[in-house]
Amino acid sequence: MSKSKQLIIIDEELCTGCGRCKDVCPVDAISGIHGEPHKIDSSRCIFCGQCVQTCSAYSSILDEPETPRADKLRERGMFQSTTEPLFAAYCAGDVFEISDALKSDKFTMVQCAPAVRVSIGEDFGMKAGSLTPGKMAAALRRLGFNKVYDTNFAADLTIMEEGNELLSRVKNNGTLPMFTSCCPAWVRYMELNYPDLLPHLSSCKSPQQMSGALFKTYGADINGKQRTEIYSVAVMPCTCKKFESARPEMSMEGHRDVDAVLTTRELAYMIREAGIDFESLPDEDFDKPLGTYSGAGNIFGVTGGVMEAALRTAYELVSGEPVPETDLIFVRGEEGFRIASMTMGEQTFKIAVVAGLTNVAPLLEKVRAGNAEVDFVEVMCCPSGCISGGGQPKVLLPTERDEVYRCRKESMYSHDKNSKIRKSHENPDVQKAYTEFLGEPLGHTSHKLLHTVFGKQDA
Amino acid sequence: MSSSLNHFIAADPEKCIGCKLCEVACSQAHSSGPAFTAGALSAPILPRLYVVQTPEITIPVQCRHCEDAPCANCCPVSAISRKNGAIVVETKLCVGCKTCMLACPFGAIELLPVYKNGAPVMQAVLCENGETSMDEVPMLFAGKCDLCSDRKKGPACVEVCPEKALSLIDPSRMKRERNIKAAMSFLNTSQNFS
Ligand code: SF4
Ligand code: SF4
Ligand code: SF4
Ligand code: SF4
Repeated sequence: MSKSKQLIIIDEELCTGCGRCKDVCPVDAISGIHGEPHKIDSSRCIFCGQCVQTCSAYSSILDEPETPRADKLRERGMFQSTTEPLFAAYCAGDVFEISDALKSDKFTMVQCAPAVRVSIGEDFGMKAGSLTPGKMAAALRRLGFNKVYDTNFAADLTIMEEGNELLSRVKNNGTLPMFTSCCPAWVRYMELNYPDLLPHLSSCKSPQQMSGALFKTYGADINGKQRTEIYSVAVMPCTCKKFESARPEMSMEGHRDVDAVLTTRELAYMIREAGIDFESLPDEDFDKPLGTYSGAGNIFGVTGGVMEAALRTAYELVSGEPVPETDLIFVRGEEGFRIASMTMGEQTFKIAVVAGLTNVAPLLEKVRAGNAEVDFVEVMCCPSGCISGGGQPKVLLPTERDEVYRCRKESMYSHDKNSKIRKSHENPDVQKAYTEFLGEPLGHTSHKLLHTVFGKQDA
Repeated sequence: MSSSLNHFIAADPEKCIGCKLCEVACSQAHSSGPAFTAGALSAPILPRLYVVQTPEITIPVQCRHCEDAPCANCCPVSAISRKNGAIVVETKLCVGCKTCMLACPFGAIELLPVYKNGAPVMQAVLCENGETSMDEVPMLFAGKCDLCSDRKKGPACVEVCPEKALSLIDPSRMKRERNIKAAMSFLNTSQNFS
């Protein structure tokens, strides 16, 4: 998507002006008079898509539409075969562009975020939270992707980089607390509203961007391709990932790390359009090495997950011993703001987990005043983390939403529990990537490919 | 004859914001299959209550479950009858004649297409000037509020409304309660006379 294109849109013909989107928007980007079509101010919008998940004003077959459904589908970037109802608030899609790339002679690589495998089955009539990594990999192969990799690999890599970054900040009196930078909606929020606190953000690119950067370097080498031959696609639970991938700093020598992003919903459209019967697909593996992952990488998709994954590795880095208990229950939970501490060897780290951006401002004010008293903070824009992202299958009734999110979350944790490797630093292909290509965490190559400088955004 | 009056759902125009969530919930309550996400829906949303938005008022309109129901009285195939205190359409019997639709003083009935496995059910109709003498047209039925009589948790629209604008009214009980209130207020005022 190009930056000038509006990403999150309210269809004026369908909006009834109920204002429920306005209530759910964490940054007051939506305005409108009750009963009249509402508008999104894209200079404030952080593209989280929570308004898209909430809106229930739909185009009814009983009303004569001003614009025919076929035109609306085209405008929204949806296939004509799509049967789902159209709601007023939506995210502009990219399926046409990606279908074209799959038909071209580009070498296509795709990555899937952790939260996609616990929800995509829902759009094919499966139970809430159905865990389908194998079917998803199979479907992507049937769609024609040359390599089916996994964002989880880069999530493990993020832990290596971010964990070491935290320790180096602690050791060298760097800026603390350090905030996670994997949620692009959170990063944009910070850039727009707290630019003075940007040094507190980790310099790590998000796992999506780390994957993309590796695809076009390490991945290109492995597959005997040039950077220019590769088209890199990400499947994400998040609408803001489309924005993130288009940021100018997320590219090398004029080539974007990630060329296009599909939301979970859009991947489901593509699977249907291709006539693939998702439920009957066999379970297939992700391609190696950029598709190998640990349980820690997988739990990035839930609130507290990044923190838990980081602590599993940090504990060992600091104390030299494996963490006594892999399940760090104290960082899990539902509350929008949670605080805890963990002792590693001689040191005690104070951590905080924020889920839902409306909960972050009080902490940021404290940081500004210099009395936050935490070392490391995970922030996710969406209320339950990525499993509740704006690009996820849209749960039709809010009365069912909590239960569906609970099921998705349970699947995430059971996927972690059943993984043979549960700590990022034990991922053998991550270790290999460091010896063969990256050198060491925070080293020269990782610095160039996996880190960035976040800046003040023009709207 | 049952002593209590039919129940019905009433909406509070002061509270309704016109979000149409009640329509979505109603459609979900009346559709078979496990689809609970938008992407899994293969049939359109087919509600049995209709949110009306005018400059003066926003409110869903739905069946009043009339005691002497004009829709039931005029149905030529007796597809509409009273069941457990609600006026309901037996979908299988309905021939789509639209008589009830016109007879209902509230416009609470809409002719809706029958969907099965994600596709509209078609029916063959005799036709004079087609290429063949038969035409395929979608099968329709009279869709109206049935108070979600098959749903354990009661009316779906009432449950889901974010503004609590809808409530299930038991007219007989409401009348008795009002009588009691009136009696009490009479008592209070009459004390002032003595
Ligand atoms: S976009 Fe949807 S939720 Fe927002 S005011 Fe319009 S109808 Fe309501
Ligand atoms: S995408 Fe998020 S930030 Fe933008 S208008 Fe919607 S709810 Fe608000
Ligand atoms: S759900 Fe409630 S507020 Fe929304 S349209 Fe229906 S009655 Fe009105
Ligand atoms: S459909 Fe109309 S006529 Fe029939 S019972 Fe309901 S309100 Fe009365």
